[in-house]
Amino acid sequence: MSWLTPDINFKIISPELIILIVALLVLILEPLLKGRSKNILPHISWIGVALALVSVITLWNREELGFNQMFILDNFSCFFKIIFLSGTLLVILSSISYLKEEKIFHGEYFSLILFATFGMMLMASSLNLIVIFLGLEIMSLCLYILAGFRRYDLKSNESSMKYFLIGAFASGFLLYGIAMLYGATNSTNLKEILIFTQGFENPLFLFIGLGLILVGLGFKIASFPFHMWVPDVYEGAPTPITAFISSGPKAAGFSALLRILLFAFGSLHIDWSFVLWILAVLTMSFGNVIALSQTNIKRLLAYSSIAHAGYVLVALVAGGDSGISSAMFYLLAYTFMNIGAFIIIIFLGEKKVNLDDYSGLVTKYPILGITLALFMFSLAGFPPTSGFMAKFYVFSSAIKSGYTGLAIIGVLNSFVSVYYYLRVVVIMFMRAPVDEVQKVPIPFFLGLALLFSVWGTLHLGILPQSFLTLAQNSIFSPF
Amino acid sequence: MITLNHYLALASILFCIGIYGVLTRRNAISVLMSIELMFNAANINFIAFSKFITPVFLTGQVFAVFVITIAAAEATVALAIVILIYRHHKEINVDKINFLKW
Amino acid sequence: MNIPILSYMVFSPILGMILVMLLKKEQVQGIRWVSAIFSFIPLILSFFLLANYDPSTSKMQFVEFHKWIPSLGANYHLGADGLSVPMLFLTALLSFVSIIGSFNINFRVKEYFAFFLLLETGMLGVFCALDFFLFYIFWEIMLVPMYFLIGIWGGPRKEYAAIKFFLYTLFGSVFMLVGILALYFTVEPHTLNMMELIRRAPELSRGFQLIVYVAFYLAFAIKVPIFPFHTWLPDAHVEAPTAVSVVLAGILLKMGLYGLLRVSYPMFPKAALYFALPLALLAVINIIYGALVCMAQKDLKKLVAYSSVSHMGFCVLGIAAITVTGISGCVFQMVSHGLITGALFLLVGVLYDRAHTRDIDAFGGLWVKLPVYSGIMTLFCLGSLGLPGLSGFVSEFMVFIGAFPVFKVIVAIAVLGVVLTAGYFLRMIQRIFLGEFNPKWEGLPEISGREIFTVTPLAILMIFIGVYPMPLANMIRATMENIVRLVGG
Repeated sequence: MSWLTPDINFKIISPELIILIVALLVLILEPLLKGRSKNILPHISWIGVALALVSVITLWNREELGFNQMFILDNFSCFFKIIFLSGTLLVILSSISYLKEEKIFHGEYFSLILFATFGMMLMASSLNLIVIFLGLEIMSLCLYILAGFRRYDLKSNESSMKYFLIGAFASGFLLYGIAMLYGATNSTNLKEILIFTQGFENPLFLFIGLGLILVGLGFKIASFPFHMWVPDVYEGAPTPITAFISSGPKAAGFSALLRILLFAFGSLHIDWSFVLWILAVLTMSFGNVIALSQTNIKRLLAYSSIAHAGYVLVALVAGGDSGISSAMFYLLAYTFMNIGAFIIIIFLGEKKVNLDDYSGLVTKYPILGITLALFMFSLAGFPPTSGFMAKFYVFSSAIKSGYTGLAIIGVLNSFVSVYYYLRVVVIMFMRAPVDEVQKVPIPFFLGLALLFSVWGTLHLGILPQSFLTLAQNSIFSPF
Repeated sequence: MITLNHYLALASILFCIGIYGVLTRRNAISVLMSIELMFNAANINFIAFSKFITPVFLTGQVFAVFVITIAAAEATVALAIVILIYRHHKEINVDKINFLKW
Repeated sequence: MNIPILSYMVFSPILGMILVMLLKKEQVQGIRWVSAIFSFIPLILSFFLLANYDPSTSKMQFVEFHKWIPSLGANYHLGADGLSVPMLFLTALLSFVSIIGSFNINFRVKEYFAFFLLLETGMLGVFCALDFFLFYIFWEIMLVPMYFLIGIWGGPRKEYAAIKFFLYTLFGSVFMLVGILALYFTVEPHTLNMMELIRRAPELSRGFQLIVYVAFYLAFAIKVPIFPFHTWLPDAHVEAPTAVSVVLAGILLKMGLYGLLRVSYPMFPKAALYFALPLALLAVINIIYGALVCMAQKDLKKLVAYSSVSHMGFCVLGIAAITVTGISGCVFQMVSHGLITGALFLLVGVLYDRAHTRDIDAFGGLWVKLPVYSGIMTLFCLGSLGLPGLSGFVSEFMVFIGAFPVFKVIVAIAVLGVVLTAGYFLRMIQRIFLGEFNPKWEGLPEISGREIFTVTPLAILMIFIGVYPMPLANMIRATMENIVRLVGG
């Protein structure tokens, strides 16, 4: 480990660089452009994201280390970058009309989203706890601001503050945990931690550190009992940001968790899997049970996102090759179906977030009604959608690893969840429309994003093989 | 002689004070300060471990610098949010800023 | 056979659905005829199946196999044997008839037919899927359109009925999913191929078989429905629109029995033997309980619904006996009940459309006013109560013959069910068609040509099977013998 000669390799961070440059470009252009010419900013942003996506794909199937083993380029990180970038792309595309509607069309919105994406990408491809922490903070700081982006709305302010206070609190735990691990293993590098944990003696520090890291990341992925911020932040934040928070950052948290638990601490699987087993059961059950009584669709999806974090935790408990790849496939599927559902909420605007506002949606907007129903069925885990494939894969990997009880609890949970997802469908299809407000045409870019999510949801559901292969090829070798 | 354990004890006391502060303080600024305490507790750990366990490398100390930077960035964002809220509510008590079902 | 005939059958309704979706909402006639045509295609193809089916073997025929999701071990695997072919034919026939019978739907027509066609695909798929993954997907797909069809076009308590139906069925199928996964990981090398799993069944330990049998049983018993899981059925039937009731009674209920015969028996023979007696007891409860509830029914549709519960009891009794005659009787009863009850629901719908009530006591002496309608209705009622010469008699007789050597007392009680059945049907005929004419129904129009057209094929088949059951018996014999041999009862 030589600290003197910096080990710089721009090639392996090219997707990150693209995102960073575009983010800065948007930030610089924002004050320079006046009036209507600002309309170009979102297009610069999404084109940048698309370029980064292309660059991730060109980096597929390489395994390189860089920056003094702080940064790793492998298929695992590439797969997660695909998840983040697709999510970001969908969110940017669907934000354009929303921001104009809400009169908060500012360039920094896009630039903050891009910076947050940059943070997530850093988290997914770092081999060092400190870089994971840095990535997490870059992401979180942007999200705190974005959650409060509807500056004149009290709910948005409150959401931002709650998110910040709880997020920073969680970061404190995470950081302290990292310090403990550093003390216990003399390193923050995951590879060196792996070598250390394969030894015979594991000091108490190690477990305290791991526990604190679990707490810190538990907040980010919204697992029980660190979930209490979720409903409030989801409800108060601007809807596209809610969509963003529920997909990318959650996946980023899981990417870090996967690397830490299954790579660095893979040899101690028996020690931590029990804790995670309990967390998974509580997270799924809590999310689903509370969601049953929600009347605000954003809150409903917030609790549903807690429950979905629980399903991914099942995959983590299962561990092994199939555990990792099923978690990854699940997160990819979840990104499409969840953002897809949010796109429709984005279109309907901040004033229509009660379930009753969705009465008879299908008669007024047949396409939106049918697609929202598709996403609801997918979230509930119904074939032939991505949600079913993902759940099937997760539960089958749990049974494969011998956690049949956990799989049964998971399956029963998804049975409970059907009830509230179905309620949305019932209201859309079986109730009479409430108001006769003029029908608004669907904006082009929002429609494009919707099409993209529908494609993702169906493709991953009907012909999932290509993506399953992708996920199976992109696991890091677990311990 | 001040050993590693002394530093660790100090850090954990600071950390606990921080947690206690976050959980009991109702003023947003005080909560923020408590969070900073938690970060600094971690910093003390980093530096102490660096000094006592890996004295050749400055890894831990470098990380402490990173953390300080991040803490500064966090403070900036936090204060901006708090000021925004204060402008609207004339209030920064976290219990009273409660329009969403908590 | 190179033509993927089963795929054409399963997916032609989907094609029709896409076409319907592309049509404008206002082109009601176009939507109706497109749906009718695309549900007619599977019917034609099912005739082709009947004609080309080789009854001498119990092997799967018309097999199609393609790799689908190798990572999960799932393949696209279709095939039909003596158990599936009659069911496929019944499904295609009843779906077509129901679609013709739905021409009077005037509310959200486009969605109605789109859902109906999707439902048909799901049902056909279940009866010919030979891969568990595919089987499960079709099993679940079917739920969604059914749920919408009851929930949107149903009666006053439609939402309640739809959700109840949906949650009940789903509750069963999640256990089936766990069962499938457990099977998949127990058998080495892992496979989801049902035929392969049947071959490997002797390797499974008895304890494992018992557990997995119960998991599958939940899914199938809810669908049949076997007491005590029957409570969704009256709600769903009463609230569902006529054509949906036809499909629900005619086909969906058979899926549970089909599952028992296709999955539970060959795959878990030890468990099947172990649970034979409890199953027979439940069957007789179904028969007697269903019949007794029918005796007290005032609502015509509910009466037909509960008569289904009773009739399904005969099927289950035949299955529980594990004799060739018993199981053949069950398949006969499945077909015959599909024809008769389907027709009964259609006819109840005819009356309800005109009179807007289903209260048995509200009518009286209708024979004078509506001779054709009354004649047809009575014919089907007689078929349902097991009049010799009609299909109901053949199937019940076979069940009794098959089950008697195994469960003497139970069969003796079950025969009582036949008497009760005769009782409630005759009472119903007497209240509605005979007796004093209720002048309130002076203006009631006679059954229309289209409606007669829908029940005619059902009536012909009912009489045909009743008079000359050999073709059907020959077709299913080899398969039934194979099932009994696999269970070893």
